[in-house]
Amino acid sequence: MRRGAGVLAVAATCALLAGAAEPEKPLGFAFVNVARSAGLDAVTVFGGKDANRYLLETTGCGAAFFDYDGDGRLDAFLMNGTTLAGFPKGQEPTHHLYRNRGDGTFEDVTRKAGLAFGGWGQGVCAGDVDNDGDSDLYVTSFGQNRFFRNRGDGTFEDATRAAGLGGLGSGGATRWGTGCAMIDYDRDGRLDIFAANYIDLDLATAPTPDSGLCRYKGVKVACGPPGLKGGKNVLYRNKGDGTFADVSEASGITKAAGTYGLGAVTLDFDDDGWTDLYVANDSNPSTLYRNKHDGTFEDVGVRSGCAFSQDGKPQAGMGLAVGDYDHNGFQDIFKTNFAGDTSTLYANTGDGHCEDRTFMGGIGLNTRWLGWGTGFLDLDNDGWLDLFLVNGHVYPEVAQIPAEAAYAQRKVVYRNRGDGRFEDVTERLGPPATTPRPGRGAAFGDFDDDGDLDVLVNNVNDVPDLYRLDSTPGAHWVAFRLTGRVSNRSAIGARVRVTAGGVTRTDEVRGGGSYASQNDLRVYFGLGPAAGVDKVEVRWPNGRVEQWAGLPAGRIHALEEGKGLAP
Amino acid sequence: MIPWLLCALLAQAAAASPPPAPDPVPAALAAARAALDAGRPQDALQKLLALGHPEDPRVAHLRGVAEYRADDYAHAIERLTPLLGAFPAGSSEAREVEQVLGLSLYLANRIPEAIPHLEHTREWAADNMELAQVLGMAYVQTAQPDRARASLARTFGVPPDSAAAHLFAAQMMIRVERDAMADEELKRAIAKDPRLPHARYLRAQAALFRGRFDDAIALLKGELEVNPASAMALYLLGDAYVRQEKWGEAIAALQRSVWINPYFSGPYVLLGRAYSARGEPGTAEPMVRRAVEMDPNNRAAHYLLAQLLQQTGRAEEARREFETAARLQGP
Repeated sequence: MRRGAGVLAVAATCALLAGAAEPEKPLGFAFVNVARSAGLDAVTVFGGKDANRYLLETTGCGAAFFDYDGDGRLDAFLMNGTTLAGFPKGQEPTHHLYRNRGDGTFEDVTRKAGLAFGGWGQGVCAGDVDNDGDSDLYVTSFGQNRFFRNRGDGTFEDATRAAGLGGLGSGGATRWGTGCAMIDYDRDGRLDIFAANYIDLDLATAPTPDSGLCRYKGVKVACGPPGLKGGKNVLYRNKGDGTFADVSEASGITKAAGTYGLGAVTLDFDDDGWTDLYVANDSNPSTLYRNKHDGTFEDVGVRSGCAFSQDGKPQAGMGLAVGDYDHNGFQDIFKTNFAGDTSTLYANTGDGHCEDRTFMGGIGLNTRWLGWGTGFLDLDNDGWLDLFLVNGHVYPEVAQIPAEAAYAQRKVVYRNRGDGRFEDVTERLGPPATTPRPGRGAAFGDFDDDGDLDVLVNNVNDVPDLYRLDSTPGAHWVAFRLTGRVSNRSAIGARVRVTAGGVTRTDEVRGGGSYASQNDLRVYFGLGPAAGVDKVEVRWPNGRVEQWAGLPAGRIHALEEGKGLAP
Repeated sequence: MIPWLLCALLAQAAAASPPPAPDPVPAALAAARAALDAGRPQDALQKLLALGHPEDPRVAHLRGVAEYRADDYAHAIERLTPLLGAFPAGSSEAREVEQVLGLSLYLANRIPEAIPHLEHTREWAADNMELAQVLGMAYVQTAQPDRARASLARTFGVPPDSAAAHLFAAQMMIRVERDAMADEELKRAIAKDPRLPHARYLRAQAALFRGRFDDAIALLKGELEVNPASAMALYLLGDAYVRQEKWGEAIAALQRSVWINPYFSGPYVLLGRAYSARGEPGTAEPMVRRAVEMDPNNRAAHYLLAQLLQQTGRAEEARREFETAARLQGP
């Protein structure tokens, strides 16, 4: 009797277990927002908090992870804005440079470094423009973009005028710089500067919400960009003597099919060894500038299938991520867009075309969020690139629309399943990924040198966030800090191919990226179970290819041009 | 004074003074009104400018009307606002001033200001369906769903508390993206008449737009129970399955949609996408080409055709189709 009862009990338990949902596999990673404890505490000011008169007040600011003092640790730079009313002299918000102390905290060194500038700041990009061994900064604004030359002693000088990089726009309109990227487009070993321009805006004549002409779901909101004059992108060629030449017209940069440029990033789309550029345009077809090897570019976005949605519609492009998510050796593009639309996943087929895999890749499920900064990063170091999206609505007035996602929005995190599809794991991550924040720019970089990429987010009218990524030990990783000698010293444009455990993965050193931001210039690879790297091949920006072999995993390796082996 | 004396005095005065110059205003107003009635507001405006007398309420009134007809709402508002009360109450001029002012304010997106004038106009034009439509939309835009529904019910000739009234109100709310308000109306419509066609379809459309594919599919299946021959419901069902990559289900729904209504290009585009995704480009291409033939300005069809051509290695044809799709975006 007792025995029989026991058998029944076991059978019932088995039946219950069989009927229960299979427990989900642990994600293998988690985020912790460490911004406050790390000392990142300056508010980014940007337009009105509850209502905006002009689109100018909506776009927010970018962020950068770069090593300004050459100590090998990533420092953080956060752009700042202002308000229409402005501030009394001496009280204007400024950009902020935070020095990484190496103990998980940062020190605000903005004034010491000579970077206490403000205005309607937008984008930032970094690279060693003068090849003197330290990273310089270029920042974009509504108004004057600025070039800050790194003196190498922990300070910067505003070299905008001296470098010939002045220019505010024409007529009554003011140029509105957004995403930017350092790029050595002519392979002369010197970094040139590309900047997207959103709108040539004249606040004196631009319509305001009071006109009643501009509504979002019935609510009066800031007008544009349709109806406002689109900006033209600019390219400055580094002449090598501390000055630049404006080659925007001569290089074909101004001949893009679309306008209203926001995010910008470098990539070698066709893998020909010459760096191309991709620009996310708002309400317009995106731009893919193919480098024609003769100092000129051609916008091949439309004809390559890399410009529209799957239905052939222009989208409100904001931020960009580039990476080889499907391991076919070519750089794919991911673009964030407006609410009510999906983000876009363009798979690079390797024959000069994009294949829209938004829905096939599992990205088409999310249409609620309005995306800005984004990046490909290997969250669990399993060797497959995942995705992180920063969101936030453009209009503070959406608070009046109950069914709409709010102004502050949660992140979206997609895990790459390795079979061509992504899975939204945001809810499984919980806070801080699910905590609503008014996000805009985001920089991706390994600030704590632990082998995974953390995310620095610049919020609107709020303090920044620093999402420290904690990956579960077990999976291996390797990273590379590249130094060019003949090529530009930052090695922007270099392609790195890593073979480990029989799998080859490809990535690049990129200028710009995300939304108006600069990511870590070091290149990171998750290796999964492979404890070492069989072969690393670097194609430097000048085309030279070198190899290294037998490098251990779990380290950041310094690779210098000319020190590797010929293939 | 006795009457015969008054008449005599008047006759004497008339004989003593020169004949008055004819008033040019009525004739010019008649000419301007004729130009307006003939659909030439600019012509009417020129005639009124040539006439002068801008301060004359009769001239200002017609100029305001002409400016409204010429889509110059700001000037129409400026012209007509001071004329409120300038004409006898109930006169045709007073009514036209108030009506055109209300419409101009509405079209200038000054909707809360427009509503009182449109409501006054409704008092003497209760059966005017255009007015009821504009007033209904004004109520929608100012988040007054019950008033909106009552006004729109007049437009569509249904009882204001009927399920149909809720449906029409929802449809008009969707047109101006008041999705949450529309969804409430649709729920009330279904509650009042569970077999009302089109209500679940509209809810499904919103669910699909929001990426709630399972909800959309459930609603569309419900729609097909009450409206089984709805080609649009089948098309939308196919769309939802395409987004879920359930190619077999998508093809079945879309094929049924095409059999019911072969004259709409939408299902052919999605059939092309579904067959392409299933690795059947040979079946996909004719579907998409048919969509292009039926609707040469269908951007999505050209774009999908370009993608198919690209996948099958016809790069030059693909480039042309991509460029056609881009051209169809407009300037």
